[in-house]
Amino acid sequence: MASVNINYQDFQKLINEDKPVLVDFWAPWCGYCRRIGPAYEKIAEEFGDNIVVAKVNIDNEPFLAQQERIEVIPTLVLYHNGKVAGSIVAPQSKARIEEFINESLGK
Amino acid sequence: MNNVKQIYDMIVIGGGPGGYTAALYAARAGMSVVVLEKLSAGGQMALTEQIDNYPGFVYGVDGFTLGENMQLQAERFGVKTELADVFSVELDGNVKEITTSDGVYYGKTVVFATGANPRKLGLEHEAEFVGRGVNYCAACDGMFYKDKTVVVIGGGNSAAADALLLSKIAKKVILVHRRDTLRATKIYHEPLLNAENVEFRWNTVVTELLHNGNKINGVNVKHLVTEDVSVAECDGVFISIGRIPATELVRDKLELTEDGYISADESTKTNIPGVFAVGDVRTKALRQIVTAVADGAVAAFFAEEYLAGIK
Repeated sequence: MASVNINYQDFQKLINEDKPVLVDFWAPWCGYCRRIGPAYEKIAEEFGDNIVVAKVNIDNEPFLAQQERIEVIPTLVLYHNGKVAGSIVAPQSKARIEEFINESLGK
Repeated sequence: MNNVKQIYDMIVIGGGPGGYTAALYAARAGMSVVVLEKLSAGGQMALTEQIDNYPGFVYGVDGFTLGENMQLQAERFGVKTELADVFSVELDGNVKEITTSDGVYYGKTVVFATGANPRKLGLEHEAEFVGRGVNYCAACDGMFYKDKTVVVIGGGNSAAADALLLSKIAKKVILVHRRDTLRATKIYHEPLLNAENVEFRWNTVVTELLHNGNKINGVNVKHLVTEDVSVAECDGVFISIGRIPATELVRDKLELTEDGYISADESTKTNIPGVFAVGDVRTKALRQIVTAVADGAVAAFFAEEYLAGIK
């Protein structure tokens, strides 16, 4: 399963559903966002059955980025039961993203 | 996951230009190859938007795309890529073991292509403004500062070389160095001291990066003796305070230089047979994409020779 691009409305709906939602806040001009892209797609394939793996382009969704207090990108936020279960800025590796997901959901 | 015990002819650690070139040449020579990369192809160059010194691209190429293309090209010949963190390596014996976040990989030869990272100043905003005024490579990004003012931080050979290169491009170069004289070898001193547009700020350190919200527009410079702080207005900062080779994995396993690079000559052979080092992680005079890819081809050549010997 590939990651899905979502907007404000999708976001509000998804985070209140049962499935945890992982969101990558990114922008096209951000070099490091691009670097984590391939790993993020692998994450979507591997975790897609259990969590929604989504992306928010903050240039298109400035209001959402502001509401979620995203100050630097890339920031990954994991939402569960309508709340933030954890977040990570500029993860160094795919393994670090996996670890972050498992830690956040294990809480 | 890597459940079946497959023994690869070659395991490449690091998916930058050196790593994928070793993989490409090895695969084309009929070897089975896996590249272990922690994030995405390209290594350091993946963060460079415009590469103008890699031959064959008239109008330059962006580093991320170049890295991705090197990966795809190698994969066309059967190279596998696994996105995994390497935790430890066992290099003795004919079958070498690489333990990763994705399980253990076995290989008859291992190529270290783990690269090096520029040493950071450790100041606030530094990471945030990379590509927007914060630079680590004058040969890569110097051209963006034609007729502008730049600050170079450091006093070693690379800082001196960077300052000299930038003095030919920029309107003005301000060299900030914590000592009262250059640490660089003598050959750099005269041309630098004679360059009319180079201003030296001896005994000083940069304490703060200043910005207008969008890009760097100056730095705070503190004099270490008088403790006076002054503002140096500039359009960009080049941080040349050395590099840190990524050699934690092999610190006690391979011969390293004092600076921490893997000891290997142009043959890319390390002190352990069947183990090679390519690109920035190896001792070498010039760390560039072209020299990294050259290393990759050489490593594949000697890996093939090594395999012929143990069969």
